[in-house]
Amino acid sequence: MAEINTGDGGGKGGKKRSKKVSTKVDMTPMVDLAFLLITFFMLATTLTKQQKFDFGVPPDLKDLTKQPELKASHAITLILGGDDIVYWYTMNQDGTTDFHQTDFSEDGIRAVLLEKRNKVGKDLNVIIKPMKESKYKNLIDVIDELAILGIGKKAMVDASPEDIRLVQAEKAASQSSL
Amino acid sequence: MAKVKTKRHSISLDMTAMCDMAFLLLTFFILTAKMKVPEPAQFDVPSSISTQQYEEKDLIRISISNDDRIFLTVPDQTLRREMIDAYANTFKVKLTEEQKMAFELTETFGMQKTDLISYLAQPAEIRKKFPQSGIPADSTDNQLEEWIATAKAVNPDLTIAIKGDQDANYSKFSEVIATLKKRRIYAFSLVTTLEAKPSNL
Repeated sequence: MAEINTGDGGGKGGKKRSKKVSTKVDMTPMVDLAFLLITFFMLATTLTKQQKFDFGVPPDLKDLTKQPELKASHAITLILGGDDIVYWYTMNQDGTTDFHQTDFSEDGIRAVLLEKRNKVGKDLNVIIKPMKESKYKNLIDVIDELAILGIGKKAMVDASPEDIRLVQAEKAASQSSL
Repeated sequence: MAKVKTKRHSISLDMTAMCDMAFLLLTFFILTAKMKVPEPAQFDVPSSISTQQYEEKDLIRISISNDDRIFLTVPDQTLRREMIDAYANTFKVKLTEEQKMAFELTETFGMQKTDLISYLAQPAEIRKKFPQSGIPADSTDNQLEEWIATAKAVNPDLTIAIKGDQDANYSKFSEVIATLKKRRIYAFSLVTTLEAKPSNL
């Protein structure tokens, strides 16, 4: 594409003419380079965008008797165990608990929460108890699941020894049934 | 009869306009780009449906790597300068001007106090490869709390962001939260990547 000067020299004759030099510059490599750099900067900037969500924790209560009362039928407790397993239980009228085990998939914890939300409505309280073995991702997944379902009432507490005992009992039961 | 000659068109295009446009866009992207600084560890953040933009303005970030080391990131250079001055004063650490300069250039660090002092004394090439064992945040030796206290003293309006790797253990995360609670910080943000919201609900 480069412009080549094809002037036929001075011709015959004595008069010397100054050659007319074309002022056209071939821009193609420059455009190539510019687009290469554009591509680089576009990818480097837009792909590193990150999101955030705000999260709050309640202050530690000094007086444990002042804890807010919670209706048992309106509460569901999720215990986040290791190996991407989540255990959940609700309390019955007579004080007994059903203990279940599920996973973080759409048919797992979301189905459980959805059913509970449809039954109880807006007042559903979700208590999240992550165990020491659980991963950070598990916690985010559960909080995200609550955001998807529009459940605003949640509390995060560490798993109590009683919860850990229940989880171990469940684990032993599922292993013996295999 | 005379032969009809087909006109020969020149195939050379005028690239000037295209070049102008390309450079205009290039300038725009260069000016808006924020270079990614190499981090001492990988943080592969989990995804959520939140669409709030995460911007590193007036914040400090606590990061937890997948092998459970805690790092502190201070994106603002002037704040880093003020922090190291305040830190040296409060905790009676003797630092030379060069060491303070080195801290000013360290956006992310994750090591305990004694390591940090020897880290800052190293030249820049060695600093890049310096082994970082994470900032201790347990109840016996909570250095993370010291750093947060220093940062909050310098700029009380700072917000805190936590960026955890997917595979970081919850126990480390709860250590960080316990530390923040000690400093009476009950609200913070968690860094995530975007995930599509399920539409079948």
